[in-house]
Amino acid sequence: MNATATAATSTQRHASPRTDDPRELFARWQQQGDRHAREALVQRFMPLARSLARRYDRSSEPYEDLMQVASLGLLKALDRFDPERGPSFASFAIPTILGEMRRYFRDSGWSLHVPRGDKERALKVRDAQETFANEHGHAPTVNQLAQYLELEPEAVIDALLAIQAYESLSLDAPRPGGEDDAITYGDTVGDEDSRYELIELDSTIVSVLDRLPAREREILRMRFVEELTQTQIAARVGVSQMQVSRLLRRSLDQLRALTQENAGQSG
Amino acid sequence: MATLPNVVLDLPNRPENVLPVREALTGIAAATGLDPADLSDIRTAATEACNNVVLHAYAGEQGSMEVEIGAGHGFLAVVVRDHGVGMPPELPAGGEETGIGLPVIRALARHVEFREPPGGGTEVRMEFAAPGSRDLSSAAASKQPGASSDGEAALYEQSANHGSSATVTIAPAGLARAVLPRVLTVFAARSHFTTDRVSDAVMLADAIVAHGAGAIAGSSLRVSLRAAPRSLAIEVGPLEPGRAHELVAESDVQGLGAIVGKLTDGHEVLARGSHDVLALRLQDPRR
Repeated sequence: MNATATAATSTQRHASPRTDDPRELFARWQQQGDRHAREALVQRFMPLARSLARRYDRSSEPYEDLMQVASLGLLKALDRFDPERGPSFASFAIPTILGEMRRYFRDSGWSLHVPRGDKERALKVRDAQETFANEHGHAPTVNQLAQYLELEPEAVIDALLAIQAYESLSLDAPRPGGEDDAITYGDTVGDEDSRYELIELDSTIVSVLDRLPAREREILRMRFVEELTQTQIAARVGVSQMQVSRLLRRSLDQLRALTQENAGQSG
Repeated sequence: MATLPNVVLDLPNRPENVLPVREALTGIAAATGLDPADLSDIRTAATEACNNVVLHAYAGEQGSMEVEIGAGHGFLAVVVRDHGVGMPPELPAGGEETGIGLPVIRALARHVEFREPPGGGTEVRMEFAAPGSRDLSSAAASKQPGASSDGEAALYEQSANHGSSATVTIAPAGLARAVLPRVLTVFAARSHFTTDRVSDAVMLADAIVAHGAGAIAGSSLRVSLRAAPRSLAIEVGPLEPGRAHELVAESDVQGLGAIVGKLTDGHEVLARGSHDVLALRLQDPRR
């Protein structure tokens, strides 16, 4: 879990190598199949693989999985490196290991699973937010959520935005992994969304606000007239703060669209 | 790069400023339909280039980190620039832990170029194959009436980076919907805002995007951000003279009030040369 600490330990280990010249080790492994030499090389260069695993887009994949693929790449690089020809082993191994990681993500259908993983994480963040707010009487900060969930702050930020499931829809970008995954946030985050319908009224006499469903109107009123926090609204309405955020954001979008429509009609 | 940049970030070279770059890339990926595996590659390489600027470019001093991101048909281009001491383009011999950044970039980008920008320093120009990616200048512009593409030269204006503030410039303005909420979220989190107030920042970003499109001078939306503990200062502009007040007024919903005003803890209009700038302040907890 704690990649930095793990890497630091292994760097220390690496700082006092019990092994000889890597050239000789490569010769012993590649020409004589000496497994001790190979093990010594693995020990020596594992920090490199670890470093690459840690660097490769840390927010979206468990470090352990990345480390496994990176280690595989390292073993391939140890087999293929020609000490007589190449420059340093590192400059040969880095593209080899990264190539292994990229191939893995593309071949394993990883892209298809990303939306599902994102969704699970978003729901965890939503639940943690609620738990924290109940315990402390106010909403947590991003860093508090990150600590609580043992996630990078970046992962929490991505989750907060993913739960809105908005930008993927607003620009009509089909999410890789199928439309199902892109649109089903609403199913898990709150079924009550499906009742969202605009009320048909004569828009020239009635405020655009009146064309929103009663619940959305009430949430807007609580936020902007009563000036309650989203957490307070969530407690009153009986949904999560993330859901309140989502409803507010969408309601404001609707109001803007309706206002524009009105302006178009009267102008 | 082969296309005009869609997003320009001008940031102090501090470690925490790599995240807004990553989030901007994530937003662009959502807007262009980029494959997640490609996004991972691009974020990884861009992060390495930014880390180089943070750690090495200014030899321990503070300086600027400029990032330009441009999307074209089937590719994404990222430029990371500093005006520091310049970095060795080659891997130091025997380097294992140090000097990984550049080989990583080389392994992930389909094309990499190092240049010395005017005024000195280093510019890393990376191009990535991104088969799913669409050309943003047409896609986003067509979604957003009023966002013309001819004014994109405004992106190249020298931005006045005010010390520790960060500036993000987005063109066409329609793309801002995918990028600005993410960048604002990063800075709201940095200000130790609760999730309540982070969500407010996202709504504020939406409002700036929606009502700013008609107010901007040129066709790119520029927003400067300065995070302090429990306080976030946001400047929107340059705006056409007189349009800053309109931006706030336009966000009014009958029965609710001006949303921009309601979400913030104060706003004022500043004159900057012949243009206006809308200065907004968010706090948490509110006064």
